[in-house]
Amino acid sequence: MKLKVLLILVFVLFFSNGLFAQTQADDPVSLVERITGQIFTDVTENLDEYTANPEALEDLVRNDLMPLLDINYSARLILGRAGRGLPKEKIDEFATCMTNLLINRYSKSLLHFSSKIKLQVLPQRGDLNPKLTRVRTRISLPEGGEAPVDYAFHKTPEGWKAFDVVVEGISYVTTYRNQIMPEVQANGIDSVIERLSTGQMQLAE
Amino acid sequence: MQRTRSMISIIMLVLLLAGCAGTQSRNTDPENDPWEGYNRKVYAFNEGMDKVVRPIAVGYDKIMPDPLQRGVGNFFRNLDAVVTYVNLVLQGKFRESADTFGRFFINSTAGLLGFIDVASKLGIPFYNEDLGQTMATWGYDDSRYLMLPFFGPSTFRDGTGRLADSFYHPVGRAIHGYGKWGMLIFRGIDTRARYLDQDAELESAYDPYVLMRDVWMQNRRYQIYDGDPPMLDYDLYLEDDYAPEEPATSDKQ
Repeated sequence: MKLKVLLILVFVLFFSNGLFAQTQADDPVSLVERITGQIFTDVTENLDEYTANPEALEDLVRNDLMPLLDINYSARLILGRAGRGLPKEKIDEFATCMTNLLINRYSKSLLHFSSKIKLQVLPQRGDLNPKLTRVRTRISLPEGGEAPVDYAFHKTPEGWKAFDVVVEGISYVTTYRNQIMPEVQANGIDSVIERLSTGQMQLAE
Repeated sequence: MQRTRSMISIIMLVLLLAGCAGTQSRNTDPENDPWEGYNRKVYAFNEGMDKVVRPIAVGYDKIMPDPLQRGVGNFFRNLDAVVTYVNLVLQGKFRESADTFGRFFINSTAGLLGFIDVASKLGIPFYNEDLGQTMATWGYDDSRYLMLPFFGPSTFRDGTGRLADSFYHPVGRAIHGYGKWGMLIFRGIDTRARYLDQDAELESAYDPYVLMRDVWMQNRRYQIYDGDPPMLDYDLYLEDDYAPEEPATSDKQ
């Protein structure tokens, strides 16, 4: 009897796993659900460890999040005209700096809020645009109310990648573009990279 | 009535100043912010005011226990329902206006004058409307940026709307001499305290004026579209000539 139950259990697990692998879709909504779920579970389970060692959390976030991001595209959008004629390495360096700041900020808020907030990923509305789409999420705040956070995705040869975060209508790309483009034009890219990497510029939420 | 007239003359003065602001040195967004020179002056004025207001807000934030501060926020938000209700009706959103009426009634009674947001716990949706948003839905969807003294970022449309709404807003009426100035000042301090977390970001920005404008304008667009604005046209950002070097004058009002 016990064996039978065990067999059924193994079968169910195996089958559902197989099913899961098959339906592990790579559309943007599923991607966001999967990755954020992964990060949230990990943080809640190891909260003490990460509080003691925030760098470990940054590594976790980086590993989970980076495959999902098109940081170079974000960098090009932010630099706009100021990025014309810049060597590719400079743009890469700039993109890395921006991403480090973003990951640092994201990790910090995870530590603060992960146990108190709930994240809800809204379903795709209408048909999925084959090139450009947004994933809408709602974060319920501890003091009540919801913060809407949207992610802009575009299709790349390596699949769907996110390149912008929009919080309550405020786009990360647009806001930074309007700060950084004139700064690069006035002071040059090296000075901006310097300012970003020494933490003199904080990221707006 | 006398006070109303003096209020109007202040507004006229502000507008007149705005009209004279043709000699500005900077023009970071000629399309949306043709009055940048004037706006930057008002921004500097507000920053000066903030040297007095911020320490008060910091003290208030320290003294007030969080639940009480949340209650104060709920209280003021509940009073805004009056303006939201009128504007939902003006926009023809009758189901939403009924919700807002119910929300105001429940929170003002069971919620102890609005301090406790009972309506949200009951699942009654929250809406936020004002005359600026109403005018936007009526077709006046683009308006030039206008920095208001004391009140901060706005547009010409939203500033006008705000003035009109203030005639019947329970707290805003103070500026016309019908309400309690104390309430208006208290609200100002409470509002300022809510933005304390953002101060460091604003200060470390390359151009704080532009950061405030961007954040406000984007969030405003989001409110006008009731939280569902069309997606940005990111392709424009990649085009070489997106931001024109020699801008034409804005046709926005």
